[in-house]
Amino acid sequence: MSKPTDLVQGTVDLLILKTVALEPMHGWAIAQRIRQVSGNVLQVNQGALYPALHRLEQQGWIQAEWGESENNRRAKYYSLTKAGKKYLRDEQANWERLSVAIGLVLKTA
Amino acid sequence: MRMAKKISHRIRSLFRKGAVEQELDQELRFHLERQIAENIAAGMTAEEARRAAMREFGGVEQVKEGCRDERRVNFSEAVIQDVRYGLRTLRKNFGFTFFAVAVLALGIAACTAIFSIADAVLVRPLPYRNAERLVMVWEDAASYGFPHDTPSLGDFSDWKARNEVFEDMAALSYSGSFNLTGSGNPEELRGKIVTANLFSVLGAKPILGRDFRADDDVPGAVRVVILSHELWARRFGADPQVIGKEIWLNYERCTIVGIMQQSFQFPDREAELWVPARFTKEQLANHGNHFLNVVALLKPGTPLKTANANLETIAKQIEKEHPDENAKIGAYAVPLREEISRDSRPAILVLVGAACFVLLIACANVANLLLARAAGRRREIGIRLTLGASRGRVIRQMLTESLLLASLGGGSGLVLAFWGIPLLTSLIPAGIAPLSGSEVNIRALLFTFAISIVTGTMFGVFPALRVSRVDLTSSLKQGGGRDGVAPGGRRLRDVLVVCEVALAIVLLSGAALMIRSLQNLYHLDPGFRADHVLVMRTPLPRQKYEKFAVRKAFFDQVLERVGHLPGVVAAGYTTWVPLTNSGGATGITIENQGVPEPGQRPIPNVRVVSRDYIRTLRMKLIRGRVFDEHDDTATQAVALINETMARRFWHGTDPVGTRFSCCVDPTEKPAWITIVGIVGDVHQAGLDVPARPEMYLPYQQSDFGYEPEYLAVRTPGDPMLLAEAVRKEVWAVDKEQPVADVMPLANFVDENLVARRVQASLLGSFAGMAMLLAALGIYAVLSFVVTQRTQEIGVRVALGAEPADVMRTVLSQGMKLYALGAALGLASALALSRTLQHSLYGVSANDPVSFGGVIILLAGVTALACYVPARRAMRVDPMVALRYE
Repeated sequence: MSKPTDLVQGTVDLLILKTVALEPMHGWAIAQRIRQVSGNVLQVNQGALYPALHRLEQQGWIQAEWGESENNRRAKYYSLTKAGKKYLRDEQANWERLSVAIGLVLKTA
Repeated sequence: MRMAKKISHRIRSLFRKGAVEQELDQELRFHLERQIAENIAAGMTAEEARRAAMREFGGVEQVKEGCRDERRVNFSEAVIQDVRYGLRTLRKNFGFTFFAVAVLALGIAACTAIFSIADAVLVRPLPYRNAERLVMVWEDAASYGFPHDTPSLGDFSDWKARNEVFEDMAALSYSGSFNLTGSGNPEELRGKIVTANLFSVLGAKPILGRDFRADDDVPGAVRVVILSHELWARRFGADPQVIGKEIWLNYERCTIVGIMQQSFQFPDREAELWVPARFTKEQLANHGNHFLNVVALLKPGTPLKTANANLETIAKQIEKEHPDENAKIGAYAVPLREEISRDSRPAILVLVGAACFVLLIACANVANLLLARAAGRRREIGIRLTLGASRGRVIRQMLTESLLLASLGGGSGLVLAFWGIPLLTSLIPAGIAPLSGSEVNIRALLFTFAISIVTGTMFGVFPALRVSRVDLTSSLKQGGGRDGVAPGGRRLRDVLVVCEVALAIVLLSGAALMIRSLQNLYHLDPGFRADHVLVMRTPLPRQKYEKFAVRKAFFDQVLERVGHLPGVVAAGYTTWVPLTNSGGATGITIENQGVPEPGQRPIPNVRVVSRDYIRTLRMKLIRGRVFDEHDDTATQAVALINETMARRFWHGTDPVGTRFSCCVDPTEKPAWITIVGIVGDVHQAGLDVPARPEMYLPYQQSDFGYEPEYLAVRTPGDPMLLAEAVRKEVWAVDKEQPVADVMPLANFVDENLVARRVQASLLGSFAGMAMLLAALGIYAVLSFVVTQRTQEIGVRVALGAEPADVMRTVLSQGMKLYALGAALGLASALALSRTLQHSLYGVSANDPVSFGGVIILLAGVTALACYVPARRAMRVDPMVALRYE
């Protein structure tokens, strides 16, 4: 049970938060959405997805609720909390600054 | 908000584990099913879809474990597991656990109890509203040997009228014993005779009824009384209707006017009632009779220094007005807090020190036990490490165990303290702790509890760190826990044992010094024999007995009647029996020694006694004769003086036959009194207080302003058996005469020693505990060493060592530790015993007998503690020991 490195973990967290920011979603749908939106480039495997969901819930960024799924099954829906929205904003800004910075370095070097 | 959510989440994860697990299962199953549905929609068969989904998902259990980790369930679970495992091992080693817990509990309880009492007496603000401004005012008669003298009523009245620094001043007369009769069983109560303003000076008010009024406190006023809450609850069932009721106190009708609040105590916790003093004008102007306690309330913002300057000015004025009685008598104020803790501070500090020592020894012992156990568990730890336990986990588990042990000890100590403190408080006399602090002091308890936890952690961590570093293969290979323990651990345990022995020596020698002092005091010749003597007080009402002849007739008749009772050897009257903390003194002029300067005059104690008083108390006649039936108003005035007075004022010449006068005014014709005999010194002021110059005058001739009050009766049997008969004889003379304080004279001796006795017995029991713990410490270390070395011993025996040699080796190892500890302890004890100086009597602070005795005693106990493991070593069968592997 190896843990993803911090960067990967942080990235997964950010992707999950951004995804559930749109609407409440269950785990499977979150994984699907990330894959589709990233044009099949990013694949979050279940071994990382679910611990990340539980961690984010534990930290209070997202909250879970049981609800009916599209095929009439009980599923656990995650949605962003107020604190999570703020956290996402900050993290997104961080990420953008970082990627711009990395881009600059790569371009000039 | 987020925090609250997080915590509730955590709690849910931990305690609603079933539900959370089920949800996790459901969530993952939903994912799988959704994936399977997706795969089928993409055209796979059901079986293919399932397998693909499973493959993609990976290990369901791993994902679950990951989720649990994120929820921190694992950490909390591990702690619970550790606690469970720890409790199980502790239960399995019941002897070890019981011993460690008991040791800690005793240490914690002793410390908490003593700290609580010390806090109440020395630290906490006094329980009076005006506490900060309350002072006690004393006369400074240092030039007569009384630097801390009880003021006279005359001084009190003058101070009160003239001072500019006090809001008010109140006075208490000597402590009285009150016979409560009438309703229910007669009962003797302790009470105080006070001026009416006492409670308002203290800032206290009755919770029921009213305070004393000024008109309660004049001669002839209706007698009233205020009761303590305790007395009211105990004797009157806390009935509010008692206000206005009459009770009989010392055979006089008294109206209850008030009840004080529950915790009110003044001047100490023994006072159960207060009555107005009703001093007469003459009494209030008397400067010769010193017996008061004066409490005064400083005006707000007045410093003590200003007050003292003011008092000194007034004292100078009084000195001018009454040069005979007040020559060289000053006045000063002492804050009440200081006054209350003055006598008890050293005693309490010694006990606090002793309790700390016991706690230290207890902690050292537990540390030792933990170290020994850790060393014995190397194999177990080795196995656990081999099976993959992380080092952190092993350390955490051992730490959990020692913390468990410490909290068990702390918890039991807490229970013991709650149960023991009231007991201890009741044991400690008002002389040591004037005001009770009978409730457990939470701060003290937390403090000692914290100490036990710190001990547990410290000595849990240390071996845990060391043991978990074990070299796996060697620890497993060697097995049995008999591998050589790392020398560092052994050394630490030796140091602990040496410290324990040293601390025990210090405590034991302190206790030995105290016990020897007490013994000296009990066997000391105080100049009288207190056994088989009954005493009672018959204070004569002034109005009825105003004339000297009437008073004399009363004493004559009572003595005559009592003297003829069967079982009475001798009976005598005196102004004060010894050890009552009361007395009088008067200035004299000795014939042919010239007129002394004011302030230079000899001022001996005065006791006005009856003829047989000397015989009743079995005082010694050194020279001359005692009073006889011829000494009367018609014959020449006579006196007996004590040895100290003869030595001090006659400077080697024979006083018998010489004359002195109590007369002060040199122009007046002196009334000469002839000295007819010298008697032995009597320790009047306390068994350990040397005698002052003292003279005895026969009541038949004059009472010199002091009227005999105490009737003393010697009998061959139990003095109390005579009480009823003697009382009846008094009443046969005057059926209205109050009789008070009926008790054996021996009670005064006991009361005089009770503070010391309690201190000695507390110190003694602490020392006993210390000795036991130190012996157990040595025993534990040696047993462990013997177990560790069984194999080596076996080899030696096989190679021809005599059992005696083996035993000697083990014994010498234990005794070496003892010798080190004893040397260390002796040095510290010699340095510390000076703090005991104040309570030692007839024994020096470095008394060789006490110290030698202690060292020999503890050596004996240590030898015994060594003997058991040494004998086990001696009996090691070489074959068994060698084959043991």
